[in-house]
Amino acid sequence: MTMKQPNLLKILSETQFADGLPNKHLQSICRAARLLRVPAGQRLFQEGAVEDEIFVISTGCVRLTMNVPGRGEVPFLTAGPGDLIGWSCVIGEGRMTATAVSTEDSNLIALSGSRLRELCYGDADLGFELMKRIAQVLSQRLLSTRLQLLDLFGDAEASS
Amino acid sequence: MTRSDSNNADHPKSDGPRQLMRFLARLDLDVLIQRLTDDGYQVVGPTVDQGAIVYGDITTSADLPIGWTDLQEAGRYRLQRRDDEACFGYVVGPHSWKKYLFPPVTVVASADRTEVGWQMSTPDESPPRYAFLGVRACELAAMKIQDTVFTGGPFVDPIYQARRNAAFVIAVNCTQAAPTCFCTSMNTGPRCSSGFDLALTEVVDGFLVEVGSNAGSELLQRLPVTEATSEQLARGETARQQAADQITKRMDTDGIQSLLMDNLRHPQWQDLATRCLSCTNCTMVCPTCFCSSVSEVSDLTGDHIDRERSWDSCFNIDFSYMTGGPTRNSIASRYRQWLTHKLSTWHDQFGTSGCVGCGRCITWCPVGIDLTQEVAAIRSSPGLKAGELKRDTSPNEEAAS
Amino acid sequence: MNLAAASATANPHNPWLAHTVRIDRIVKETPGVATYELLFEDAAVRDAFAFRPGQFNMLYLPGLGEIAISISGDPNQTGCVPHTIREAGNVTRTLAELSVGSTIGLRGPFGAWWPVDECVGRDVVLVAGGIGLAPLRPVIYHLLSDRERYGRVTLVIGAREPAALLYPSEYDDWIRAGLDVQVTVDRSVGTWHGNIGMVTALLHRLPLPDPPNTLLMTCGPEVMMWYTVQGAMERGLKAESLYVSLERNMNCAIGLCGHCQFGPQFLCKDGPVFRYDKVASIFKVDDL
Repeated sequence: MTMKQPNLLKILSETQFADGLPNKHLQSICRAARLLRVPAGQRLFQEGAVEDEIFVISTGCVRLTMNVPGRGEVPFLTAGPGDLIGWSCVIGEGRMTATAVSTEDSNLIALSGSRLRELCYGDADLGFELMKRIAQVLSQRLLSTRLQLLDLFGDAEASS
Repeated sequence: MTRSDSNNADHPKSDGPRQLMRFLARLDLDVLIQRLTDDGYQVVGPTVDQGAIVYGDITTSADLPIGWTDLQEAGRYRLQRRDDEACFGYVVGPHSWKKYLFPPVTVVASADRTEVGWQMSTPDESPPRYAFLGVRACELAAMKIQDTVFTGGPFVDPIYQARRNAAFVIAVNCTQAAPTCFCTSMNTGPRCSSGFDLALTEVVDGFLVEVGSNAGSELLQRLPVTEATSEQLARGETARQQAADQITKRMDTDGIQSLLMDNLRHPQWQDLATRCLSCTNCTMVCPTCFCSSVSEVSDLTGDHIDRERSWDSCFNIDFSYMTGGPTRNSIASRYRQWLTHKLSTWHDQFGTSGCVGCGRCITWCPVGIDLTQEVAAIRSSPGLKAGELKRDTSPNEEAAS
Repeated sequence: MNLAAASATANPHNPWLAHTVRIDRIVKETPGVATYELLFEDAAVRDAFAFRPGQFNMLYLPGLGEIAISISGDPNQTGCVPHTIREAGNVTRTLAELSVGSTIGLRGPFGAWWPVDECVGRDVVLVAGGIGLAPLRPVIYHLLSDRERYGRVTLVIGAREPAALLYPSEYDDWIRAGLDVQVTVDRSVGTWHGNIGMVTALLHRLPLPDPPNTLLMTCGPEVMMWYTVQGAMERGLKAESLYVSLERNMNCAIGLCGHCQFGPQFLCKDGPVFRYDKVASIFKVDDL
């Protein structure tokens, strides 16, 4: 269900993702955006499928999983308010590297990947600001993933 | 506050020949030893054993290394006969007085299994009363440093404190220096200025005697001393000066605290790792090193456990062990720990350097590592990161010029 | 703010002497982790014993040795002294085989404590990883015992998996008492519907109304604490308002054996709790 534009602008501007983004860029991005309210259990995108929307989470929680034959859907991360998911639409060719399902009722800002790419090519400044923020999201995600990989709470740790 | 400090408050420091000094004839050294023994002290001092001058029991002056001297350099120690009969004609050997004050092995507590569970206790035997005969200026400084470590913090070690309080200290002014000595760089010698009960300077036919405390003064009154003649005083001054003049090794301590802590990634540590064997010799002979470990020693029944504290060393790989492995897993990191502690972080912890410039670590290192040279190497190229070349040896620059 | 409270029970006359304590209760927490509630045999010692949050005791199993264990109970309660212990080596594994009524030795309390006094009037964030929640639990009890004195108090807990979460039965009590509790696991299992990911991710999106005035305390694996502190500073918290609890080989606990040194600090008396800026320059030096 889509909401009116001004509400969308305000909601987007309040997210951590949009922090510091000049108003004119916010407005441009909003033209490629819509507000989504999803119930718990809603699938947002499918691993392996080519999709066109990236999502900035305003409220709620989304769980990311990957399918491993024999193990089924293996959850590896949850994303919360301020997080961005579905970045493959903007960075790559849109083939998703995870399945995303909301775990609670959530408010999301959905952005069209192809339209965002058009905007970036048309306005280098906007393109830079958008890519910078996506890079920051990915670097945070990478650090988090590395820390999970290190299994810091595994048996090797000493007791306090 | 240590016992010697409080005693010194009543007696001015000696400041050279103008002070009223006494003279004890060489033959009467045994009277001094006897008086101490009669007073209930166990007299310990330098003796010749195992090819070195080490501290052991002194019954008479004949037990001293009369007519012996030591030849020391990095990684080398030999004894050699002198052409005189000097009692104290050498510098310092592999032992330090910490072997008595901070015993290499000692029980710190015990546990006994009873019908009402484990009961813990601590030893309450009276401590041995040592009279240290022949303490050098660097060693007085080392004792002062260990006083701070063991009795100056929030927790006092009762074993050290009891032995220290009971100890009688007879210092000896050095009359020569080894190539490994650098006490002048550390402001700890070669002159004995405080921290002793009596201080001797060996001259022909006997010793000038200086008082450093009430206890020293009291003992002096029971010795057959005479007033020192001006000639004896002059000889004493010459002898003490000779020690200072013979010191050739220097360590530049200017800004050394930050020099080392700002260079924790310097390639010199890796270079050291190719030479250092992590054998712990330096920490064993160092008069201020205090690391230890407590282990459990059970009797056959398993109902009586002694908690035994033994000397340990930061060079031992297990020293920094935590579940998962030692945190200092390389020789480079362990050497770095030792040196930065000794010369830098010791200041943060105890307000002084941990090094007294005695040179023992240089002599007794089997591969001859000289910490004064290691510091100089870092000082000559500060800020260098491991893997970097020094700027003026870059091959590209040489090719281009 | 420091330092080691040499309490009457640490026996300033002989700091090597351990008191006899009896195991009064054992609470199995998670696989390999249990809380031992210890009671001093000597009633006078029991009444005199007091600790600050973050301090630790040396627990002694005669014949095996001593281990440094943070006190995990309420500093305002007398009587039993709880210690949450993870099986890791000889001493802890033998301890795990003891039963209620067994006696062991105790020396303490030792160490610098969490800056609870500095929290008055400020927002507080606690970030706990794995067993690191145990030394922080006394802080929680302390803050909740007088809740109005403090601003927003948030607890971020990370664990390996849901079954490894420590004290889960208390989370609802803490929430009701005014704590914002956020939980995350490294890997989810079965029916877990909560957060998955590192505590740093939760910290990254935590609402922080007043970062320059917010105080953060963190305890857990060193790598986790490092990235927590970095993340906190990126959010605008000041280095002087961040506190970590470090760990090194502990042998005597009284600053005399040299084992626990980290740069110039003795962890047993200058730590284990440190204000971050005091250790920042040496924190990331390899093998220090």
